[in-house]
Amino acid sequence: MSARTIWRCWGALMVLLALTTASAFLPLGTANLFISLGIAVTKALLVLFIFMELRASNALVRVFAAAGFFWLLIMIALTSADYTHRTDQRVPVDEVP
Amino acid sequence: MSEQALGVQYATPGQEREAVTLGMWAFLATEVLFFGALIAAYFNYRMWFGGEFIAAARMTKVVLGTINTGVLLTSSACMAMAVSSYEAGSRRSPVLWLGATALLGVAFVVIKGIEYSLEYREHLVPALNFDLARHGGVAEIFFMFYFCATGFHALHLLIGIGLVTWLAIWIGTGRIDRTGSTTRLIGLYWHFVDIVWIFLFPLIYLAGRNG
Amino acid sequence: MHAPHRESYLSAGIGLRSWLLTTDHKRIALLYFASITFFFSIGGIAATLIRLELITPQGDLGSPDFYNRLFTMHGVIMVWFFLIPSIPTTMGNFVIPLMIGARDLAFPRLNLLSWYLYIAGGLITVTALLLGGVDTGWTFYEPYSTFYATGYVILTIFGIFVAGFSSILTGLNFIVTVHKLRGPGMTWYRLPVFVWSTYATSLILVLATPVLAMTLLMLLAERVLHVGIFSPQLGGDPLLFQHMFWFYSHPAVYIMILPSMGVISEIVPCFARKSLFGYEFVVWCSIAIAAIGFLVWGHHMFVAGQSLYASLAFSFLSYLVAVPSAIKVFNWTATLHEGWIRFDAPMLYAFGFIGLFTIGGLTGLFLAALPIDVHVTDTYFVVAHFHYIMVGGAVMGYFAGLHYWWPKITGRYYPEYWARFAAILAFFGFNLTFFPQFILGYLGMPRRYQSYPPEFQIWHVLSSAGASILAVGYALPLFYLLWSILKGNRAPANPWGATGLEWSTRSPPPPENFPATPTVVRGPYQYDRGKPCMQAGHV
Repeated sequence: MSARTIWRCWGALMVLLALTTASAFLPLGTANLFISLGIAVTKALLVLFIFMELRASNALVRVFAAAGFFWLLIMIALTSADYTHRTDQRVPVDEVP
Repeated sequence: MSEQALGVQYATPGQEREAVTLGMWAFLATEVLFFGALIAAYFNYRMWFGGEFIAAARMTKVVLGTINTGVLLTSSACMAMAVSSYEAGSRRSPVLWLGATALLGVAFVVIKGIEYSLEYREHLVPALNFDLARHGGVAEIFFMFYFCATGFHALHLLIGIGLVTWLAIWIGTGRIDRTGSTTRLIGLYWHFVDIVWIFLFPLIYLAGRNG
Repeated sequence: MHAPHRESYLSAGIGLRSWLLTTDHKRIALLYFASITFFFSIGGIAATLIRLELITPQGDLGSPDFYNRLFTMHGVIMVWFFLIPSIPTTMGNFVIPLMIGARDLAFPRLNLLSWYLYIAGGLITVTALLLGGVDTGWTFYEPYSTFYATGYVILTIFGIFVAGFSSILTGLNFIVTVHKLRGPGMTWYRLPVFVWSTYATSLILVLATPVLAMTLLMLLAERVLHVGIFSPQLGGDPLLFQHMFWFYSHPAVYIMILPSMGVISEIVPCFARKSLFGYEFVVWCSIAIAAIGFLVWGHHMFVAGQSLYASLAFSFLSYLVAVPSAIKVFNWTATLHEGWIRFDAPMLYAFGFIGLFTIGGLTGLFLAALPIDVHVTDTYFVVAHFHYIMVGGAVMGYFAGLHYWWPKITGRYYPEYWARFAAILAFFGFNLTFFPQFILGYLGMPRRYQSYPPEFQIWHVLSSAGASILAVGYALPLFYLLWSILKGNRAPANPWGATGLEWSTRSPPPPENFPATPTVVRGPYQYDRGKPCMQAGHV
C-alpha cells in the first residue's frame, strides 16, 4: 500500500460520496435506492480491497471477509419474502399511547 | 495481544500472524451481522411501511451527514497511511497519522453530537421528547433506528479512537513489538467502522430526498 | 502402563489461581464441565417442579404466574446455559487440539475470557430468575415482554447477552484453530468428524449469535425506553422481533445438535470396530445442516401472521434441512452393519441417540407441513418434538461423549455396569416422559399451561412418572463419576482401542498434549474390521 494508492483511493471515495449525495436529489423513484446502495457497495469494496488489503490477501481471508455480508444478504432476502407479500391491512394509528 | 513470545501453540511467527488475521476477520464478520441485523430490520420496515418511513428520513441533517462521511473516509485514509508507514519501519510517521485518524474520529463524534442536539431541539428524540402527534408512529420508529444505528456506530468509533490513541502512544514510546500484528489489526477495525457508516449513510440520510 | 505420578495437566500447577487463570484448554474444559453441570441442575430442578405440577389437572404448586416463571426459567437456563455451550466448551475444548495434533487452541486467553463471560452471564440470569424471574417464556415475544410483562426481563436478557459473547469467542477460536493449527499431515479429509461438526457448529456460533445480540439490545431499548420498534401501538410489527429472534434461535438448535452428532460419529466406528461409512458424506452433511439451518427459521412463525408465501418457502426449506440429517443416520447405521459391536456405555448412549434423534427428526417433518403445524403448534406435540432432539439427541450425545472421553480426561475408568444401567434407565425414562407428550399435543393439550382438562391427566401422569425415572438416570452419573475420580482404576492411553490422535497420548494428557508433535499419515477410523477391541478389562 503506497501513499499514492491510498490517496488515489481516497480521491475515488470522495468522488463517490459527492455522487451519492447529489444523485439522491434526482427524481428517479426507486432507482435512487439502488444507485445509492450500489455506490455504497463500491465504496465498501474500495475500503476492503485497498485499505484493508484484501487484494493482497489469500482466498481464505477473502472468504472470511465475504461470509458476514453473504449471510446478511440471506437474512434480508428471506425476511423480505414475508414483508413484500403481506396482504394484511395495517390498522391506522392515530392516538398517542 | 502480547507479542513478546510466540505462543506455545504456534510453530512459526508467520503462522501466528495468519491466525490472528483470520481471527480479526472472523470478529469483523460477527460485527457485520450485528449491525446487519439492525439494517435488515430497517429494510423490512422500509418495504412494509413504504412512504411514511422514507418521509421520516427527510428530517435528518444531510449536509452534516455528508460532511461526516467525508471526515470518516479521510480518517480511513489516514489510518491506512499509519499502517503503511509503520510497516515501512518508521516511528514518527505512524504516530502522526494515527493522531490525525483519532482527531478526525473526534471530529465525527462532535458533528454527530451537533446533529443529536439539533434533533433534540426539533423534538425528534424517541423516549425523550418525540412529537408523536406531529410526526406519527412510523417516524418515531424510524428515529429509533436512527439513534440505535448511529449510537452503536458512535460507540464503536469511540472504542476505535481509544485503541488508535493507545497505539500511537505505544509506537511513539517504542514499546510496541514490531514483529506483531497489532497495528494492522487495529487498522482493520477502524476501516470496518468506516464501512458500517458507508452503508448507514445512504439508508439514513439519503432516503426520500428525491421528492 | 504409565506411572501415575508423571506430570499431567491435572497435576501441573496447584491452587485456585492456577485453575482460574489457566490458559490450558484442558483445564478450561474442566471449568466448563463444572459450571455446565451446575446450570443443568438448576434447569433440571425447574423441570422437576414442572412435572410435579402437571400430575394433577388443577394448579397445585403456586399460581399460574409462578408456573409461567418456572417454564421460562427452565427454557432460558437449558437453552443458553446448558445446551448451547455443552459439548463445544467441554469436549470441544478438551479434545479438539488433541485431535488435530495441536498444543492448544489458537487463542488460549480468549478461551479463558469466554469462560468468564459465560459465568458472568449465567450468574446475572440466575440471579434474575431467583429474584422472581420472568414469565415471558424463553422466547420473549413482543410486545408482552417489553410493555406488559412484570418481572426481571432486563436483568435476564442482559445475562443472556453477556453469555452470547462467550459463544461468539468460542466459535471464533475453534474456526481459526481448525484452519491454522492442524499438525503435520493432518489434512482436512483426515480430520475426525467431531472436528468437522465442531467447525460447522462454530460457523453458526459466529454468524448467528450477533443477530441475537442486536435483537436483545432492541428488546432492551424498548423495555427501558418504552418506545416501540416492534409494538403495534406505534404501528410497529411484533413479527419483526420474531424474525430476528428466530434467525438466531433456529440455527441455535443446530448448535445444540451438531456437536452431539460429531460425538456419535466418533463412537459408532469405535464400538462397531469399523470405519465410518461415507466419511465425506457425513462431513459435508454437517456443513449442509449448518448452512441450510439458517434458511428455515420461519417455520416457528407459521401461525404468527407472516405471509403465506414466506410460510411456503420456509416449509419447503425445512423439508430440505432434514435430508443431510437423514443421510447421517443412514451412514451411522451402515457403519454398524457387519461390525463387531460392543455395548459399552458410550455405545448404549449412541444407540439411544440414533433412535431418539430419528423420531425427533421425523416429527420435525410433521411440523414442517403447514396443515399439520396449524393443528399442533403451541401444543405438547412441539414440546415432545424438541425434547426428543435436545434431550433424546443432544443430551444423550453429551453423556455418550462424557463416558467415551472420561478415561482420557481423568485418567480413570468409570464403573461400566453402573454406567450401562444409567444409560438404559435414562432411555426408558426419557421415552416414558416424552412419548405421551406427542399424544397429548395431538389431542390438543396446549403448552405452557399450568392447569388442563381432566381427560389429559393420564398422559401427564405417565409423563411425570417417566420424568422421575429419567431424573435417576441423570443423577446416577453424578455419583459414579465422582466415585471414579476418587477411586476409579487408572486408565491407559487408549482404553477403547480407538483411532484418533487424542488416544495416542497419555491419560490424562501432559500439559503440552504430546511429548512430540505427531505426524499424521492416514485417515481417521482405520479400524480393523471385525477384530474385537484389544483392551478389555475395566471395572
